[in-house]
Amino acid sequence: MNAEEIQAIFFAECEESLAAAESGLAACKAGTQDDDTVNAVFRAVHSIKGGAGAFGYVALQAFTHTFETLLSDVREGAVAVTEPLVDLLLRALDTLSDHVGAARGLAEVPDDVGLLAELTAAQAANAGAAPAPVPAAEPAPAAPVAAPVAAPVAASADDDTGSDPFDLDAMLDDITGAMDTPAPAPASAWLLKVRPHAGAMRNGGEPLLLLRELTALGARCIECDCGAVPPLDTLDPGTGYLGWTFSLDADVSEASARDIFEFVGDDCGLDVGSDAPMPAVRPAPAPVPVAAPAAPAPVAAAAEAGGMAPAPAAAAPAPPAPPALGQSIRIELGKLDKLIDAVGELVIAQAMMAQRLAGDGLAVKEELTILEGLTRDIQESAMSIRAQPIGSVFSRVPRILRELTATTGKHVRLEVSGESTELDKTVIERLGEPLTHLIRNAVDHGIESAETRIAAGKPAEGTLTLSAEHRSGRILIRIADDGAGINRERVFAKAVEKGLVAPDAQLSKEEIDHLIFAPGFSTAAQITNVSGRGVGMDVVRQNVKELGGRITIDSEPGSGTTFTLTLPLTLAISDGMVVNVGDQTLVVPLANVVESLRPTEAEVQGLGAHRAMINVRGKFIPVLPLHAAVGAQGAIEQAHEGVLIVVETEGAGRAALLVDAICDQRQVVIKSLDTHYRSVEGVSGATILGDGMVALIVDVDSLVARSLSGQSLSPVQSLAEAA
Amino acid sequence: MTQATRILTVDDSPSMRALLNHALSTQGFEVAQAEDGLAALDWLALNEVDVVITDINMPRLDGFGLIERLREGTRHRDRPILVLTTESSDEKKARAREAGATGWIVKPFDAAKLVAAVRRVAH
Repeated sequence: MNAEEIQAIFFAECEESLAAAESGLAACKAGTQDDDTVNAVFRAVHSIKGGAGAFGYVALQAFTHTFETLLSDVREGAVAVTEPLVDLLLRALDTLSDHVGAARGLAEVPDDVGLLAELTAAQAANAGAAPAPVPAAEPAPAAPVAAPVAAPVAASADDDTGSDPFDLDAMLDDITGAMDTPAPAPASAWLLKVRPHAGAMRNGGEPLLLLRELTALGARCIECDCGAVPPLDTLDPGTGYLGWTFSLDADVSEASARDIFEFVGDDCGLDVGSDAPMPAVRPAPAPVPVAAPAAPAPVAAAAEAGGMAPAPAAAAPAPPAPPALGQSIRIELGKLDKLIDAVGELVIAQAMMAQRLAGDGLAVKEELTILEGLTRDIQESAMSIRAQPIGSVFSRVPRILRELTATTGKHVRLEVSGESTELDKTVIERLGEPLTHLIRNAVDHGIESAETRIAAGKPAEGTLTLSAEHRSGRILIRIADDGAGINRERVFAKAVEKGLVAPDAQLSKEEIDHLIFAPGFSTAAQITNVSGRGVGMDVVRQNVKELGGRITIDSEPGSGTTFTLTLPLTLAISDGMVVNVGDQTLVVPLANVVESLRPTEAEVQGLGAHRAMINVRGKFIPVLPLHAAVGAQGAIEQAHEGVLIVVETEGAGRAALLVDAICDQRQVVIKSLDTHYRSVEGVSGATILGDGMVALIVDVDSLVARSLSGQSLSPVQSLAEAA
Repeated sequence: MTQATRILTVDDSPSMRALLNHALSTQGFEVAQAEDGLAALDWLALNEVDVVITDINMPRLDGFGLIERLREGTRHRDRPILVLTTESSDEKKARAREAGATGWIVKPFDAAKLVAAVRRVAH
């Protein structure tokens, strides 16, 4: 594609934008002055401005800038939409159209001086601001500034992209390499001291790249200040302990060196001159709670509007209960999250009080029961505020299917049920990705071509069934196809080929099916329409796991495959089984629990010196002493003396956890261990129990997988200290 | 030979997409394009990427909304994301960083400026 072709696209786009702006303004004049309409006009003008700048149409850019500035104020409500204003905007649009014509060489550049003054006046007057100076012809400082920097950068990048960013040697070379030759800096050289702080690693930033870029500019590292590096056990990987002194030649300007660090701003300490001290180490700030983005109110609202856009797409036979009738109020997400946090604390406080009173023999007081009921009501209401119908995710499916039909040639009928099922907004938002992937997988690998289907006596058109339902405090989402089912022989062969399982491994059908979730496994060379490199199914499982959910497969050769996602209603509260193990109290998520039993001595059989299996209705399940995994003291060690909790895991099948006793089954408010302490393998979080004690919530999947694979449990043993 | 850096550009303007595609693919990058935030999420659900470049003002889901959604999960928490902005004020840049952007490219840009910004953040 050459410049003329791109320019032609731009002019076609200008025509579209002009038409869109015109119809938007016409709607305003007719009385439709909602946000969407005004925003569409703004975006049209904004888009013309962007292109005008890129193609160097100075007059067009200058005019759109002023026009856009006024529209921006209109959009933000600083300037009221009045009849005269709309007329002014319509006249400005006519002039803009003339400007576009001039840019195409079809007309003279229009005289816009008077109109520019009017636009500026309208903005200043309505906004009540002093007439702002018109930054009319904003200089387009494209080439001259960027060129000198870009050249060496491009050169360096050629060397650097070759090295793996996580190659320790390369990193050490970067850190120390240039120090081998501490050539005395020429007298005219100047010194730059650099210390990236924790924030420099935020948002995907990588300080090492910046240091490399500095080196490409000709900077030589003459000293690395390691003085602040603490002993290993107190080292926080999130803090910037190292500082570097670079020497730069006099012909390298300070501005060009500082420019490299533009993206990180204050998050990287910079000092110039030989006398300047090395900027001090700044400890990593407390982790920002994930749920409190700084000022996302309008953004979030817009996103919501986008995501929830009316979707009268083919497959929704009955629209969800009309929400339009009720009155609604928009509130900032941060406020809502604060409320939910507070409710979580209330639940804990209520439980603590109940336990304390029970200890004093006062448990049966009527007021306590009322309080408990109210607390539960408040909690449910608070959760329901964040809840949204899953229909917003399902409504995107027809489009995905249409695109898949276009690329694969397979026609698929969609059946949807339970689209009014509600779940947490965050869960909904993060469900899109795994769902898209599963649907694509079902059509790509599950449903056969029309010929194959007819040969097998099935209707030519495949059927994909999506359903959602509430099931005992969790949400069950099913994605079912009526395709060929999983070809277990091929899956197993592939897994052996990839080295995921031993060739002689004895696996059950389910275990083979679940191999498709193993990292590094993908059944066919996935050909995606754009880049050709796809994402594996392991990402789907990871996505679901991050939502506190589980995914299981049920496949029948010849008649189809069903993926079932079990998700929590919310990420803040979970059902758990409180158990005692020696001197520790732990919580096992109820989602994993299948059953609990007290085995007789005869039911438990030894397997080698250190393993035991239990026979549950003819099926042998490995027994895992939980006390060994968490390093608890004084726990019951013989299975027949304690209680076994049979749990279902994603990757490792079933296992029976040996605990001393089950104390309770209750809702627990999940506290992130990452934010309060650090991430610990085998533990998904912590909660505060009624007696004020902290109990760790067991990550059953990773704990069982580790124990069964015979890995050393020593890292997990630090749990005891963590608690 | 290492794999080319894969870039997803998100912009609702066809001419801007054409410009980005031209500038980046001639520099040896592998380029995929989406026309707004939701389309970007759909594409990212199925594909891996090294760097995301996104416009801010877009229909359906805008650039900041997209970044917020990407930063929520672990998969894209450390993904370099650059925003295209017409504003060069410090306030707007701070806003972009606050929203989770790794860096920004001020429009109008030329190919050298664009590539320099990508190289600065590409892991």
